[in-house]
Amino acid sequence: MADSEALVKVENLVVRFPITDNSRRTFIRPVDQVSFEIRAGEVLALVGESGSGKSTIGKALLRILEPSEGSIVVGNKDITHIRRRELVEYRKLAQMIFQDPFGSLNPVKTIEQHLAFPIRKHRLASSDSTSNLINELLARVGLTPVEETRLKFPHELSGGQRQRVAIARALAVNPKFLVADEPISMLDVSIRAGILRLMTQLREDFNLAFLYITHDLASARYFGNRIMVLYGGRIMETSASSELIRKPLHPYTRLLLAATPGSAMKGALPETSNKPPNLLEGRTGCPFADRCPHATDLCRDQVPELTEFEAGHLVACHYTNQLAEDNIRS
Amino acid sequence: MDEKTPVLEIKDLSVSYQTPSGFVEAVRGVNLTLYPEEIIGLVGESGSGKSTMAFAVMRLLKGEATVTGGLIKVLGKDVYSLNKKELRLFRWDQMAMVFQSAMSALNPVMTVEKQIFDTILSHRPQMSRQEVRTRAEELMDMVRIDRKHLKSFPHELSGGMRQRIVIAIAIALHPKMVIMDEPTTALDVVVQRSILNQIKEIQKTEKFSILFISHDFSLVAEMATRVAIMYAGRIVEMTDSQTLKLGERHHPYTDGLLRAIPQLTSEDVVIEGISGNPPDLKLLPSGCAFHPRCALAMERCKTEMPIPHPQPIGYIECHLYSEEGSRG
Ligand SMILES: Nc1ncnc2c1ncn2[C@@H]1O[C@H](COP(=O)(O)OP(=O)(O)OP(=O)(O)O)[C@@H](O)[C@H]1O
Ligand SMILES: Nc1ncnc2c1ncn2[C@@H]1O[C@H](COP(=O)(O)OP(=O)(O)O)[C@@H](O)[C@H]1O
Ligand code: SF4
Ligand code: SF4
Ligand SMILES: [Mg+2]
Ligand SMILES: [Mg+2]
Repeated sequence: MADSEALVKVENLVVRFPITDNSRRTFIRPVDQVSFEIRAGEVLALVGESGSGKSTIGKALLRILEPSEGSIVVGNKDITHIRRRELVEYRKLAQMIFQDPFGSLNPVKTIEQHLAFPIRKHRLASSDSTSNLINELLARVGLTPVEETRLKFPHELSGGQRQRVAIARALAVNPKFLVADEPISMLDVSIRAGILRLMTQLREDFNLAFLYITHDLASARYFGNRIMVLYGGRIMETSASSELIRKPLHPYTRLLLAATPGSAMKGALPETSNKPPNLLEGRTGCPFADRCPHATDLCRDQVPELTEFEAGHLVACHYTNQLAEDNIRS
Repeated sequence: MDEKTPVLEIKDLSVSYQTPSGFVEAVRGVNLTLYPEEIIGLVGESGSGKSTMAFAVMRLLKGEATVTGGLIKVLGKDVYSLNKKELRLFRWDQMAMVFQSAMSALNPVMTVEKQIFDTILSHRPQMSRQEVRTRAEELMDMVRIDRKHLKSFPHELSGGMRQRIVIAIAIALHPKMVIMDEPTTALDVVVQRSILNQIKEIQKTEKFSILFISHDFSLVAEMATRVAIMYAGRIVEMTDSQTLKLGERHHPYTDGLLRAIPQLTSEDVVIEGISGNPPDLKLLPSGCAFHPRCALAMERCKTEMPIPHPQPIGYIECHLYSEEGSRG
């Protein structure tokens, strides 16, 4: 897997939104110069606080919104600015699973109808075999007995079962790439594990690539092969999951880890304020500088570039070398 | 009152909701004792009855909900024997609650200052404005929000700041007990951690007891000394936070939850969900309510409701721990 071509290639992605700031029209950049790759069969976990730009990246990748700058290539096709027909075609390759399994289903349609829709739309099966395909999909996501499930309405299912329907629907087109935006955060604790395991199984069985969006580092570590930490729309750090948890280098990653329940780090948090990041276009310096205990004038002045510290471990901080030594000492 | 008087004593509490399809029992015979300066964690999945129990203690249940049995004593007083006026004074003064959603707990058209002032003055009308202001500033310092935000409206504050204000108001009158119902669930982990650190700090100086409600095991283990686990309206296990890990003696449900949660630091363990779904209270399973989901269920579990079996610490309500059970 290591040397295979990337399935998803994102380069210098920028998403801008118009806002009014003190009655002046301007822009925010919740996604700012983001680059990464995902290989077939790989799960990239995207973590970061609320408003850091995770969902916006997910929507750009699915082309639910159009990027302002940069490029997105999926399966050797540049999909950054594709329209209509090509977009419909692209939906066979890439699908999304949302946080709220209820909101994403139509309350007056049966489960069968939910699954039949994408099959017909994309002409994935003859009308004779549609029914078989529906059964197959339901069985694949563990919604058995399928004959019973098919005729139910969303409100007759539990949250976990609804999320399985949403996954089955996404799988109908036989995609290669799934964006799962907080797929378990609204579910009961006892059934979250089942969904995570299902997604793990699908990754293995179909060599699916995932962008797994979450604010929970523990589940990111569990499901993700790699973790990418986002702050103020920029990537702060990315590496193999276990490496990131064992050896966090970026001050924000360290803060996030220290704050996560179950972490070994106790006591005061390593931060100097809790100001949210400035997303306004034209900001200068490191987005984390306001909260960073190591910030200097250089940090407030110049954006640190994401650079490779060790093979596969990238960090965007002016003082990575010094902080890495701290890590060894502490 | 002597040291040993519990701050909160719940005995055989049952609460039902009236619904179009009949009564549903959301809390079914719960017992719990909270001692001075103690923090008890109450964990359970959504719908297990945690908030209902908290509202019952505060006597804040709405129309369709009624206490159908049992007794609730706060500082030795039966909460349901108080008349309206006594209750109004008792609440906030002796017992306070931090609600699940901070925004709805605050009045959107009133400044923070006004809301703190109103709470204090309604209980301490004799206090001078200067004294009230001093207390308000003290509270802002305690929850670490700049005093200038006393002049702010709720919508001008972040979610984390609003939740801190709610906590400040809850402790304004030095209550002996504070119920915190998922006080940080909607917040980012960093904000959550800093608020929890503050709660612990304030609790040490102000010395109140906390009933800390959450669905997050690791969080509860960090906050509380004793932990109650709720399933389908019953506290099925009482344990302490040290024991709240795999490999210890637990209720099968507790065990299941512990197996279901990805751990931040443990290497490559496979997590496992609990089969089935949380029960529908209208169609509560007979016997042990957990039996349809329990891998260890025996014949008697289907018909016979288990009783609490005392453990070195706390108890476990499961037939496996009875004399004839395999773990007894
Ligand atoms: N359509 C839009 N118009 C204007 N601003 C937007 C729009 N969508 C998102 N934003 C802003 O972009 C920023 C990033 O939002 P995004 O939804 O990507 O965050 P997130 O990381 O997914 O957060 P959460 O964890 O809360 O889901 C936020 O400041 C948000 O308010
Ligand atoms: N107003 C209500 N009417 C009917 N049922 C309710 C009402 N409020 C809560 N319930 C039911 O009571 C049970 C317990 O709810 P709750 O105490 O809110 O649980 P928790 O706080 O543990 O999530 C749930 O099954 C819920 O659906
Ligand atoms: S670049 Fe500076 S401000 Fe940013 S994380 Fe590194 S040390 Fe902190
Ligand atoms: S009483 Fe029976 S069904 Fe209930 S938890 Fe114990 S073993 Fe399982
Ligand atoms: Mg989001
Ligand atoms: Mg609740």
